[in-house]
Amino acid sequence: MELIINKTDNKVVARLVGRLDTPASQDIAADVQSLIEEADKTIILDCKEMSYISSSGLRIFLTLRKAAADKGGHIIVRDINDDIRGVFMMTGFLNLFEIR
Amino acid sequence: MKRKDKIINLNIIKRSALEGLMLVVVAALALEASSLVQYYFSQKGIHEEAAMRAQAQLEAARSQISDVINQTESAVHNSEWIAEWCLEVPDSIPRVSQRLVEDNPVTVGSTVALVPGYISSLPLYSPYVYRDGSDSLIFRSLATEEYDYPSQEWFTKPLETGKGYWSEPYVDEGGGEMLMVTYSVPIHDKKGLPAAVLTADISLDWLKELIQGTRIYPNASNILISREGRFMVSPRGDAALETTVNDVVGQQDDSMSFKKLNQSMLSGESGSMQLEFRGQKSHVFFSPVDRTGWSMCIIVPDSDIFGSIRRIGFIVLLLQVLGLGMIILILSSFARKQLQYKKLNENKQRMEGELHIARGIQMSMVPKTFPPFPKRNDLDMSAAIIPAKEVGGDLYDFYIRDEKLFFCIGDVSGKGVPASLVMAVTRTTFRTVSAHESDPQSIVSQMNDILADMNENNMFVTFFCGVLDLVTGHLSYCNAGHNPPMILTDGIQTLQVVPNLPLGIMCGMTFQGQEIDLNYDDAIFLYTDGLNEAENAEHEQFGMERIASVLHGRKSAQDHLKNIEVKVKEFVGEAPQSDDLTLLFIHYLAKEGDSGGSHRLVLVNDIHQISLLPDFIQRIADEKQLAPGVTMNVNLALEEAVTNVILYAYPPGTEGTLEIRATVGDHSLRFTISDEGQPFDPTAAPEVDTNQGFAQRRIGGLGIHLVRQIMDNVRYEWKDGKNLLTLIKYI
Repeated sequence: MELIINKTDNKVVARLVGRLDTPASQDIAADVQSLIEEADKTIILDCKEMSYISSSGLRIFLTLRKAAADKGGHIIVRDINDDIRGVFMMTGFLNLFEIR
Repeated sequence: MKRKDKIINLNIIKRSALEGLMLVVVAALALEASSLVQYYFSQKGIHEEAAMRAQAQLEAARSQISDVINQTESAVHNSEWIAEWCLEVPDSIPRVSQRLVEDNPVTVGSTVALVPGYISSLPLYSPYVYRDGSDSLIFRSLATEEYDYPSQEWFTKPLETGKGYWSEPYVDEGGGEMLMVTYSVPIHDKKGLPAAVLTADISLDWLKELIQGTRIYPNASNILISREGRFMVSPRGDAALETTVNDVVGQQDDSMSFKKLNQSMLSGESGSMQLEFRGQKSHVFFSPVDRTGWSMCIIVPDSDIFGSIRRIGFIVLLLQVLGLGMIILILSSFARKQLQYKKLNENKQRMEGELHIARGIQMSMVPKTFPPFPKRNDLDMSAAIIPAKEVGGDLYDFYIRDEKLFFCIGDVSGKGVPASLVMAVTRTTFRTVSAHESDPQSIVSQMNDILADMNENNMFVTFFCGVLDLVTGHLSYCNAGHNPPMILTDGIQTLQVVPNLPLGIMCGMTFQGQEIDLNYDDAIFLYTDGLNEAENAEHEQFGMERIASVLHGRKSAQDHLKNIEVKVKEFVGEAPQSDDLTLLFIHYLAKEGDSGGSHRLVLVNDIHQISLLPDFIQRIADEKQLAPGVTMNVNLALEEAVTNVILYAYPPGTEGTLEIRATVGDHSLRFTISDEGQPFDPTAAPEVDTNQGFAQRRIGGLGIHLVRQIMDNVRYEWKDGKNLLTLIKYI
């Protein structure tokens, strides 16, 4: 799992590549922390290359969402595949995020 | 019952009561008419008989009187020539009378009275001879100034007429000194001059005896009257010469009839008539006595003549009244019974209605939607309950909790309403106890204590309780005196059961449980004794052999039961169903055979071991050619479950392992995750509310939520010091 962060002035694009399972979630914890610091901006989570997500991954999404709300930022989830959309649906996350 | 129906019913009752009354009236009229006809003819017959008897008596009396009259007349006429001869020898005149009295017993007295001056030496001469009470004769001269025989009627009349003359009755004062009648004839001398009168007296005491001696009826009055209407023999039995019938007619209530009777009798007629005498309706029969101008009558009160028939008539009437009373009583009791019957019928209908509702309630207590678990493909089951009466004491029940099928079948002793109440209690108790208890032995023990505790009517329940682990096929069961079920594996056999006592007999009894493992396609068939003891008209029982034979063949549970019902009905025929019949068929299809592979993965409690899961899942997915989405979901569920174990089963810093066993069946994937860590039930975590906004959403709890969402069955168990979490996914 890789989290590739691309920052511009008022926008951060974070690309998630690979399986976001429990170990992966732990592995990217530091990168996630840096994203949280940018939560006053618009963060685009690019999921085009994310093939899997577990509850730990969902927790990262939720943490970011809460941080953005606190800091006045904005989270956009982009290009999730149908299987992951199903997981979002099962957990009610479809309603928590702006998904493009 | 509706008000309108009530009115109609009342009308029907009224109408039938009216019909009954009319029947009684008609019967009474017919009876009365026949009695009246009978009474009329009887009365007529009796009247005729009375007339005959009266005539006979009148005839007898008349002939006896005639005899006396004839004898007297003959005696007198026979003495005429002697008297005539004696005129020549006056001294011998008394001897004429003496001989006449001596020779004729009916003659009480006699005299030869000379016409005054016929014999100059004897200007008045009438020597009288008579009998007093004793038989000695007394002589007496009637030629006294007081008596003055020449003026007496008995003397003058024969001389005037020249013929024999019967006097009116009289008391011969200065003569015979008794009540008598006299027959007198004139005696002429050889020159033909009237010389004397010869008499013979008859005592009326004798007549009285004759007339009164016989009575045709106890209260009949026999009367003899003279030519001039004097009583010779009065109704009182004595002579009352001074009174004529005319004198007493005025005293009678029915004077007109008496006047008529008097006239008829005086004119010498015979016949009969009706009149009122001494205040009683009476019949009078009368007839004249020859030559004397007397007439005799017999007055008989109607009560004497018709007394018996009236008595009989009265008795008959009384009997008829009693009979009619009885008929009315019988009819009214019949009507009452009809009413009672009607009431009973109404009650019965109400009871039937209530029983029908009760049946509905009872049936709603047992699961009766089949197939009961349409979404499950690991179980096919069906059940049926056919009460002998509207409600019965049989029960079955089943439900699934924690991937275990809890089922039971029972038979309450007795039938009908009492049994149905105990059935309801038993079923409720089963649900209550089994809600927190999974061991049949404990379920049965606890149920027994509850049922025995409140069992005041000594009802008991034969009961079989089973808990089938749908995941493992493990069946634990406990039999409380019930018929052993049939088990359908390779063959059809009776399930081995310990014959414990039925439920409800005594608190604190121990029940022995048993267990067996079911394999894929095994079935268990439970029934109540209404099946094996079903009797046909020849009292032959359905029996175990027939049960085993009807279970042959591969059918759905529902078809099996339908087939059994048909076979039982065929066997029983017209014989009435004697006992409740309950059937429960459970076909186990979950535990897969060897068709699928078995996979095993052992992990240590390091979170990075999660990375080993995808390959493990993929192998299974490839074997079953699962869609990528399904594979991902299974992986996700497994990862969440395993993560839980890795993170929480063992205390931090201690090492532990967990084992994943996967069984791949035709239709399901089963994963069992076991570890030897602290007992921990992930399924106990509260549900996540997926509708909450992000602000309220908690970070935790999503994992088990996903497991539940993805898997069809999730069950946790702490067994043999291990946490066992079983996940099943139907494919």
